[in-house]
Amino acid sequence: MSTGTNRQPASPAIPAGPLTEKVSVRNLKFYYGNNLALKSIDLPLYDRIVTAFIGPSGCGKSTLLRVLNRMYDLYPGQHAEGEVLIDGRNVLGPDQDVNALRAKVGMVFQKPTPFPMSIYDNIAFGVRLYEKLGKSEMDERVESSLRRAALWNEVKDKLNASGQSLSGGQQQRLCIARTVAVKPEVILFDEPCSALDPISTSKVEELIDELRADYTIAIVTHNMQQAARVSQFTAFMYLGELVEFAETAKIFTAPSDKRTQDYITGRFG
Amino acid sequence: MPEHIVTSFDAELELLRSKIAEMGGVAEKMLDDSTRALVRRDSALARQVIEADSRLDNLQREVEENAVATIARRQPVAVDLRDIVSAIRVAGDVERIGDLAKNTSKRVLAISSEAHPAKIVVGVQHMSDLVQAQLKDVLDAYAERNEQKALDVWSRDDRIDALYNSVFRELLTYMMEDTRNITYCTHLLFLAKNIERIGDHTTNIAETIYYVTTGEAVAGERPKGDTTSFTTTGEI
Amino acid sequence: MSLYAARKRSNRIAMGLCTVAAVFGIVWLVLILAVLVWEGVSGLSWRVFTEITPSMGSTTGGLLNAIVGSLMMVFFAVLIGTPLGLLAGTYMAEYGRYEKLTHVVRFINDILLSAPSIVIGLFIYEILVAPFGGFSGWAGSAALAVIVIPVVVRTTEDMLLLVPGQLREAAAALGLPRSVIIKQVAYKAALAGIVTGILLAVARISGETAPLLFTALSNNFFSTSMTQPIASLPVVIYNFTKTPDENMQQLAWTGALLITFAVLVMSIIARALSTRMKK
Repeated sequence: MSTGTNRQPASPAIPAGPLTEKVSVRNLKFYYGNNLALKSIDLPLYDRIVTAFIGPSGCGKSTLLRVLNRMYDLYPGQHAEGEVLIDGRNVLGPDQDVNALRAKVGMVFQKPTPFPMSIYDNIAFGVRLYEKLGKSEMDERVESSLRRAALWNEVKDKLNASGQSLSGGQQQRLCIARTVAVKPEVILFDEPCSALDPISTSKVEELIDELRADYTIAIVTHNMQQAARVSQFTAFMYLGELVEFAETAKIFTAPSDKRTQDYITGRFG
Repeated sequence: MPEHIVTSFDAELELLRSKIAEMGGVAEKMLDDSTRALVRRDSALARQVIEADSRLDNLQREVEENAVATIARRQPVAVDLRDIVSAIRVAGDVERIGDLAKNTSKRVLAISSEAHPAKIVVGVQHMSDLVQAQLKDVLDAYAERNEQKALDVWSRDDRIDALYNSVFRELLTYMMEDTRNITYCTHLLFLAKNIERIGDHTTNIAETIYYVTTGEAVAGERPKGDTTSFTTTGEI
Repeated sequence: MSLYAARKRSNRIAMGLCTVAAVFGIVWLVLILAVLVWEGVSGLSWRVFTEITPSMGSTTGGLLNAIVGSLMMVFFAVLIGTPLGLLAGTYMAEYGRYEKLTHVVRFINDILLSAPSIVIGLFIYEILVAPFGGFSGWAGSAALAVIVIPVVVRTTEDMLLLVPGQLREAAAALGLPRSVIIKQVAYKAALAGIVTGILLAVARISGETAPLLFTALSNNFFSTSMTQPIASLPVVIYNFTKTPDENMQQLAWTGALLITFAVLVMSIIARALSTRMKK
């Protein structure tokens, strides 16, 4: 793996000053049964930075994302080895409260997944479990989350309507609002725009860029242009390996690994 | 380099390359012809050069249009993006080379009626020979995407600069010897400057080639030998 | 071109056969309904709902005791069977989705689902009627509950499996524990489907005769005691059709019409709910 720690061609998108490592993946291996899906991954996720994961289908990028919030725990036969440190603490350990971890590491999925309840409850639902808020405080939280997701103006008059009555793009932003509402520190996006039209995609991308000010963000995408647009760092994965991790501007103008170059320029056979 | 999954993308890039190769051929001939027109006092040849320039302008426009269309349609990244950007840049340089050759030919027309000893143009002719060789090499290097060859051109341009310095001094001397030489020599001075600038454009192209293949700018300062900006008659 | 023509011809033949088969099936259905309506409607009157079953030779009487008995037994059967079925189905779809036990339960449940109802009646007779010395409403309800359980188990499991895994993951991603995910997300998403399953189970047991013959028996008098033999529409229909008494035969037709109509309404509601579910 070649790591582009050389910050020479500093892109304007990256804030000045040293980057802090919010999440550190150390020698991570992941198994589906006996099948090795991730082969010893080492990678940092920097605070207030969007890191994009690209690579062909089955390269392990979604798998990696699902390790970060231990989503794999839901399924038998999947297990991870190695370490994922969040603020220096290994979250893969058996003493980690998985639900607390997931509240801290939010996730937005490929298909919009509003819960079968009202827009208001979609957001309040997760919050109620962790915080005892009064009516007015909860109202405030719902509003601020919806505003954060740039959805407030579109839904403020129909908070009691079903979340499933919204359009696809609105549903996805509702899911983002819902994730933001429980005050996570890291947000994982698993191909968040693959089911959306271009305009909704732009809105979600704009949103991700705004959220960067407060969160550590990781995004898996099949759309390389999207990775180039929204991220500051890009990781290219291939066959369960991390091939290259560098600043996005470098990956998309002058990648150092030939496999990265072949993939992003559309030369993979 | 393996081919793209989308073969029409390769075809578009290939078209850009062939158009630039064609531009290179036209520019080389213009430079060669303009020098020969000077040496032989051949007004007809000089006019041919002037007419040829419009072909170069058209080709450059086509390269730009094709490149912009390809960027819009393919959203190229990495080596493809550098390739297309380089095509635009190289086309610009070659087009400027054509302009300079055209300007040279115009001056050839302006001085064709004046009779002067042939030895005055020898220095300019020698410069032109060097620049022609350099232009040919850099165009080959572009076609081959050979950054070593490009760096070679890039680092040897100072010879042209040195030659230009001596031509400059030589022409100044002629002018000081006999004021009737001034018109002729001034034109020759500009002409020599044109050729020197063509040399500079070849180094631009060389830098572009280095960027295409490596993704980085050429490190360090190019050796430069043109000191005429500081030359005064007192030194001669 | 001839190949195309041949294909067209065989297509037409196949279409024709399909149409004939469909018409054949529908014709009988229509005939059954038509006869039922024809024979049953003439007997419809208030006394059907207000008077109890008549004795031989009488010209009055209705089906009150049978209707009330049926309603009570179905109600208790659903009350017993639904929670059991729901819990089992929830275990199979949520907690134990990848467990061996689930496969075993599913297999047994499928057998139970297609078990002849008379076998179930005999089974309840053996364990509830014979040892406790008498037919009773409870025994009838128990027999019907045994029919309800596998239906509810099956629909609960199926409907929960239909809830997209992503929805569960999305809830889990918010840090919600499994119990909350099942109660608040999975059940809500599967609600219409599960209710449909329960309604279909009700429709199924309200027409069952065989399991009641050995368990609830019947009762010629009005009774709401679940510990005593109790009348039910299917059994009354069964008994009355065997008599030569015209009044009783007429009541049997009317009762059959009532059951059919009730089942039809429930099926329509179930169908409407399940279309809403699919949306």
